[in-house]
Amino acid sequence: MAIGIAFLLGALILTVAGADPVVAYYWLFYGAFSEASFSETLVRATPLLFISLGLAVTFTARVWNIGAEGQFYIGATFAAILGLHLKDVPHPFALIIILLASVAGGAAWAFLPAVLRAYYGINEIITTLMFNYIAIYTASYLLHNPFRDPASMFPETTTLPEQLWMPIVIPGTRLHAGILLAFISIPFLYFLLRKTAFGMKIEILGSSRRTAEYAGIDAVKLIIQSMLISGMFAGLAGGIEVLGIQHKMRLEISPSISPYGYTAIAVTLLGYLNPILVAATSIFLGGVINGSMTMHRMANVPVGMAGIFQALIIIFIMIGYYLEDKFASKLLERLKLW
Amino acid sequence: MVTELISGAIYSSITLLTPLLLVGLAELLVERSGILNLNVEGSMLMGAFTAFMVAYYTQDLGIATLSAALAGIIMCMLFSILTVSLSLDQMVTGLAMNILTIGVTSYLYRASFGWYVSPIPPHIKETIKPIEIPVLSEMPFIGDILFKHMPHTYLAVIFAFTAWWVLFKTDWGLRIRAIGEDPQVADYLGINVNSTRYILLLIEGAVVGIAGSLLSIAYYNMFLDNMTQGRGYIAIALVILARWNPLLLLAGSFLFSLIDAIQLRILALGLTFFPSQLSLMLPYLVTIIILLVAGRKAKGPAALAKPFKKTR
Repeated sequence: MAIGIAFLLGALILTVAGADPVVAYYWLFYGAFSEASFSETLVRATPLLFISLGLAVTFTARVWNIGAEGQFYIGATFAAILGLHLKDVPHPFALIIILLASVAGGAAWAFLPAVLRAYYGINEIITTLMFNYIAIYTASYLLHNPFRDPASMFPETTTLPEQLWMPIVIPGTRLHAGILLAFISIPFLYFLLRKTAFGMKIEILGSSRRTAEYAGIDAVKLIIQSMLISGMFAGLAGGIEVLGIQHKMRLEISPSISPYGYTAIAVTLLGYLNPILVAATSIFLGGVINGSMTMHRMANVPVGMAGIFQALIIIFIMIGYYLEDKFASKLLERLKLW
Repeated sequence: MVTELISGAIYSSITLLTPLLLVGLAELLVERSGILNLNVEGSMLMGAFTAFMVAYYTQDLGIATLSAALAGIIMCMLFSILTVSLSLDQMVTGLAMNILTIGVTSYLYRASFGWYVSPIPPHIKETIKPIEIPVLSEMPFIGDILFKHMPHTYLAVIFAFTAWWVLFKTDWGLRIRAIGEDPQVADYLGINVNSTRYILLLIEGAVVGIAGSLLSIAYYNMFLDNMTQGRGYIAIALVILARWNPLLLLAGSFLFSLIDAIQLRILALGLTFFPSQLSLMLPYLVTIIILLVAGRKAKGPAALAKPFKKTR
């Protein structure tokens, strides 16, 4: 429903900008979900899925981690730098070490905002956003100076040796084992959020910190834990993107028209913080990103459209929540009358 | 030489301070009434975009400034419909609107100028110039630092004092603060919570839109994607630093801008041992440090960012 309204409004914007919405949408869907492009959509969805799964945890606790972008960059940088230094380590071990390092990097980057929020109640949206800029400038410094590939014209590292690349799942495409890891994480996260004491506690914390504290839940610890988990996933997404797709660290590792860290926020909200729905939405929005690029090439529509869709979808979903609330309360009133 | 360096740094920090102070003050008033509007970032960006487009096509900076104010108002009114009337989550709404604005502005920019923006991006010929206040600007040293600024700067400083006076010395200010502490009680006392919030957000929209316009038609003569670069969020952090007090905000934003000005000087000098990236990330680092030092004990309005639903 929300998506429908967002697309209708999107069509309006397209028309105002002078494009034919039908043609534009045809290319959008062609670029997203046709047989030829679906593997690329999954490639796009992989980092989104990892990041959003982590965000589902913090958002359930009502801790708004906007810092996934920075955590993603740090994870990716760690992976690339370690990769260049682990040439002699046997294959599976090197891969595991690198991915663990990106996980640690992402978590470390989430740690300070988490502590500030948990102990002092400092708005995590501001701190995590500031940390994004700091992360990107740090990566930029490392890529311009100590770790720059001297042979390249761009600020990027040397390409990693081929034995460190993620194995390709479907020959002939860029679809790599990362997507399998992502799919394995879904039931794990579902279990964590729905079936464990931790999941229940953060849900209580999310509905009200006061209630949580009355119930003897350690809010400080939970906030930090949930931020660390989401940092870990964002870092892992960065590491996997480096090992699976880029095979090196570049500054444009996150598409500028719709950066993974920010897009994942939309994915998570759109998926109602439910790992299974989140998986579906990350594929959907991955498709929208790729599709809007196709739309841009074939129907000459500027690429900012992907961002517009995401934001419209979030806003309409929230209005949807509101209406549901209203509906539910009316229903309750009716029941009371009976 | 040394005095010139110092006066130069202070002068440019006062210039840099203007948009931050304007946004901070408007946000401060709104936060005092219990609304946390993260969408100042988006409204600023929208202001910058609108001002540039209008200035580009009309060559009139006055009209450009007014349309930026209008754009800001539209953004903030949209925000208030969603958060004040519909009681949606303020943080998520603000965030979503910021993403929306980045998309809309960069989309419309490309829709108007084409995708292949040439090596020299479209720019305007005239930008807003500082005005020299007669007599006062002729004073040695002080005249150079204080009285040769854009009109916006003077207005921002006046706004700081007015905001302080309104907030702490008038009935209206008392009502704003009452709403921010406990909207329920304020409502029982017969204060119209929602309409007060609407008025404050309306003012904020105009002010923030104009503050954003400074980026594209005063400091630069062009528009860049996401050119606010988190300045709206920095302004919110400064409000926390100032403990929701307009006069402290004036001081705080001056200190912050001084660091920013020094950072820009270092960048311009091109010192090789000082990486440019470190210089560029300095404002963000400073913001974190500010929050670390000041945010720990800061206690904002009790009802900040809590949705309020009128109960009968």
